[in-house]
Amino acid sequence: MAPSPDPVLRASGLHKTYRGGMLSRGGAVRAVAGVDLELRAGETLGIVGESGCGKSTLARMLVGLERPDQGEVTFRGRPFFTRGGVPRDIRRRVQMVFQDPLTSLNPRMTVHDIVAEPLRVHRLSPNARAMRERVGELLTLVGLSPDRMGRFPYEFSGGQRQRIGIARALATEPDVIVCDEPVSALDMSVQAQVVNLFAELQRELGVALVFIAHDLAVVRHVSHRVGVMYLGRLAELGPAAEVYGAPAHPYTMALLSAAPVPKPGLRGRSRIMLAGDPPSPVAPPPGCRFHTRCWKATDRCGEVEPALEAVGEHFAACHYATR
Amino acid sequence: MSEPPVLEIRDLRVTFTAHGREIPAVRGVDLTIERGQTLALLGESGSGKSVTAKAVMGLLDQPNADVRCATARLGGRDLLAMSEEERRALRGSEMTLVFQDALSALNPVLSIGHQIGELYRVHRGLSRKEARARSIEMLSLVGIPAADKRIDDYPHQFSGGMRQRILVAMAVALEPDLIIADEPTTALDVTVQAQILELIDRLRRELGTAVLLITHDLGVAAEVSDRVAVMYAGRIVESGEVAELYERPGHPYTEALLAAIPDLDSPASSLRAIPGAPPNPASVPPGCSFAPRCERASELCTTTRPALLEIGSGRYAACHHSEEMLDGALA
Repeated sequence: MAPSPDPVLRASGLHKTYRGGMLSRGGAVRAVAGVDLELRAGETLGIVGESGCGKSTLARMLVGLERPDQGEVTFRGRPFFTRGGVPRDIRRRVQMVFQDPLTSLNPRMTVHDIVAEPLRVHRLSPNARAMRERVGELLTLVGLSPDRMGRFPYEFSGGQRQRIGIARALATEPDVIVCDEPVSALDMSVQAQVVNLFAELQRELGVALVFIAHDLAVVRHVSHRVGVMYLGRLAELGPAAEVYGAPAHPYTMALLSAAPVPKPGLRGRSRIMLAGDPPSPVAPPPGCRFHTRCWKATDRCGEVEPALEAVGEHFAACHYATR
Repeated sequence: MSEPPVLEIRDLRVTFTAHGREIPAVRGVDLTIERGQTLALLGESGSGKSVTAKAVMGLLDQPNADVRCATARLGGRDLLAMSEEERRALRGSEMTLVFQDALSALNPVLSIGHQIGELYRVHRGLSRKEARARSIEMLSLVGIPAADKRIDDYPHQFSGGMRQRILVAMAVALEPDLIIADEPTTALDVTVQAQILELIDRLRRELGTAVLLITHDLGVAAEVSDRVAVMYAGRIVESGEVAELYERPGHPYTEALLAAIPDLDSPASSLRAIPGAPPNPASVPPGCSFAPRCERASELCTTTRPALLEIGSGRYAACHHSEEMLDGALA
């Protein structure tokens, strides 16, 4: 199904700062510092970035698990964060799949109870029998045998557990599923199964996905559009083929260049080697956040923060974006 | 070659006992690494690759682990004939280990200078002052800025990439014959991973050290290794020179893995997923361990385990169908 143009989910000016407790002397962590994005119905928006870039915090705000300090998330034009918390019907329409299937599934609940919990919470099944049937349907949908619904999470392999997490997210017939590193805890021979499952579900159910991962190739594979995050901000955003094929932001170039490629023949290629580590989100550098590691940086980059501006078909936040 | 290989392991077997059950984690592994060479041991979790590394280092002396080996030689010296004391002296000087998680591998209450210096004091008998000077040299070698100022810092004061550099510095400090790097970059970000891999490769070239790189990442193995050995369910199922192995895999598992990872340059619509999951080490199927997930599996595969046989110059595969695979690739 081709993505339609109207957004289901829109985030504008999201900021989230975690203030430390008594023991933290470092100060506040600026996890997300001004992110705008739109998710269209039926599309997959991939978010890539290194650890500490705020991609998980962004995910949690997009499902309403975390309240932004500034900015707003809207679902089909309706604000998420009202005085009474996130409205229940919005919660039902926006679901989440977590990274580690073992810690995100209650070990003392059976698979039936885990998948039925959202049905119960949102009163989606009139009686126990209907609920059981629906759980069976959901398990079949994700490729698990309904006979096993009486079992516990530890009796399943990593890939199967992730399927249980996906079945639980699908239970409420959501329009949006936000997936935070859904395949990175899985063995490489199993990753492809889950990646294919997401693609299949999207084709069949038309659900929109936000797919957050650090693996560039996986994100490219599943996404229609891709956003690249660096230290709490989007460095680049656009159609996957554009962002990967003609990256405009130096960070995207470096990231793509640094990714190990399973082709020994390409070993001698020239690569962009960034110096150092990403700076700490406690004290992000002034101006462009990437200027401390950027080979294109000038004095202006250390002073003026570049805005996310259109570069051809996509957007990049760089004064010297390759056009 | 007149020089003996740096590492020669024949028929390594490791069996753990847990809850009265025997769990064979490594079931007959052969490894040979020449001087200055990098061998990547590629496998998924539970394939026995880390256990192999620990067994080679002699770090599995625990009551519930049974380690057996037909031959174990390091640079021509017989590891099996050595006393525990002699092996201990080799660890850290002749063969060293770089762990995955640098934060838990370093002692949090000792300064970096103390921990690197300890190597020189214990193994080389240097004085504190000399050891400190050498430690600063090592830190600069691995690219830690202002090494003379940071030598008294503690592990928590360094970033993840810097800590991994410190581990690499400790591993190469005494110019060992062999470095075993167990997922050295798995905990790191892509841009930092590239730096560390480059560093290990540079030190290998400059110091002529042999490297055993344990990884689950096909990309990482392709970037730095000379030879690759693919492990599945406690055994090596295929080994060979890196370019050959990636271009014309001789084992269906290798072939399937390569088809299951997305290609950055040409996104296909659907990945060729491998059905099922890796077997539990406690109950590996009879015959070929990969047979239940293999699309080429025949009746023979479920009953008779294929031996690791030479299928070309320097190439080995344990599969009844290797020949038809390679013929098919050529045709």
